[in-house]
Amino acid sequence: MKTLSITFDPSLIDHYTLVIAITGYCIVLIALAIMAYFFTRLHTLQDFLSKRRISEKGNSGKEVQLKVTMTGEENAAIAAALYLFFSELHDEEKYVMTIRKVSKTYSPWSSKIYGIWNTMKHW
Amino acid sequence: MNTLQTLNSLWEDTGFYNASWGNIVMILIGILLVFLAIRYSYKPLLLIPLGMGIIIGNIPFLHEAAYRTGIYQDGSVLNYLFFGVQKGIYPALIFLGLGAMCDLSPLISNPKLMLLGAAAQVGIFATFLGAMIFGFPMAESAAIAIIGGADGNTAIFLTSQLANGLNSTGGGIAVQNLIGPIAIAAYIYMSLVPVIQPPIMKLLTTKKERLIRMKPPRTVSKFEKILFPLLGLLLSAFVAPASLPLLGMFFFGNILKESGLTKQLATTASTILIDIVIILIGLTVGASTQADVFLKWESILIFVLGAIAFMIATAGGIIFSKVMNIFLKKENRINPLIGAAGVAAVPDSARIAHEIGLSEDPTNHLIGHAMAPNIAGLIGSAITAGLLLGFLL
Repeated sequence: MKTLSITFDPSLIDHYTLVIAITGYCIVLIALAIMAYFFTRLHTLQDFLSKRRISEKGNSGKEVQLKVTMTGEENAAIAAALYLFFSELHDEEKYVMTIRKVSKTYSPWSSKIYGIWNTMKHW
Repeated sequence: MNTLQTLNSLWEDTGFYNASWGNIVMILIGILLVFLAIRYSYKPLLLIPLGMGIIIGNIPFLHEAAYRTGIYQDGSVLNYLFFGVQKGIYPALIFLGLGAMCDLSPLISNPKLMLLGAAAQVGIFATFLGAMIFGFPMAESAAIAIIGGADGNTAIFLTSQLANGLNSTGGGIAVQNLIGPIAIAAYIYMSLVPVIQPPIMKLLTTKKERLIRMKPPRTVSKFEKILFPLLGLLLSAFVAPASLPLLGMFFFGNILKESGLTKQLATTASTILIDIVIILIGLTVGASTQADVFLKWESILIFVLGAIAFMIATAGGIIFSKVMNIFLKKENRINPLIGAAGVAAVPDSARIAHEIGLSEDPTNHLIGHAMAPNIAGLIGSAITAGLLLGFLL
């Protein structure tokens, strides 16, 4: 291991280093803020467009189906209910195939101990 | 050559003859990591390849031998595998898999949480200044600071470009090869999220704040899910083009998933491909800790600075969420615990925020909310890496 030579000199931070640190942080913050702003507005725009589409269809006299927006909690409740419902179903066969183990009863005819090759060793 | 000379040459070729105390220490560390992974199931996917890599990389051998064994010897098998780390190939492939794995709905449904991912990047920039004070050249300081992003892949990517032992500093002196220590530090801090973050989270928040219930996220349309990777790619690539290998792959992986038409590709990227790359990156990063390269005082300093960076990043996310709460309406307030998930350790830091929230109120599930700053942190740290590359290369 090399000898320990740790310096501690705040003057090593020059003007350029500070510019990199401050500008870099601001850029990351602004970039993600722009993305956040855009997607917040996008949702509002989407709502506005869907309402407009509905009203246009309404004017044409056709039947309009409203777009239902559900919260995550409602989705979770529906998913849980479906899961419980399907886990209660028993009228279907399982799709997993298994191999049933068959235990054979012992017979001297199939014995390996008294097989012909073992007996030959004693000759 | 007589028999005695042959035997002597064979003896000189063995690991017993060439072993140094550094090799022994590193092998013991490798065994410890494998033991922790197997005995306590502690991050086995990370620690087993890493631990085995450390053992493999520290088996002593005759450096002058005709055959090539060491990871730093040109033409050796390990050297070829290490190429993916040195050139930043593996991190890009892992980002592809992550993109194909991640559901960005929490982020899209509550976009303001992206700011927490950006705020946590303060750890990187503060440590960049800190490393400069300790005398590291600018390129090495930036590579060390990226540990604060708590993402091993971004850390490897940036270090492979800045502190690879090939570039030179401003004064014409070659930078050190810090890939080994920085990658190990980043991966170890990623696995130490449950140890490092909770005390900071509890210290910076009151019980009342930890009990804040957030508004359930809204349902996100498929249109938004497809638009996000496209716009995210365009914006991030225009701001920091150097981050393209990471974010380009990330958003590409995500659109493979969200398009719904390339399911096989998304499945391959998020399962088989990412598994192969994790094996290779874990093993080669572990093997890069060859004692003569790794055991230096600078490595210890890198570990200390990395820990500080990680702690500042965690604190930065929490404090920023508290500041945001001042300006938000009561029903839109953010639980500051999820600010800690602004670091890019996906999904560990989100899970920790969730668990601490549950320990205060067993009915308050924060995981869905915490994933948003977590993914934003991943994107933010990749943008930061791109910016640092742009500034310093």
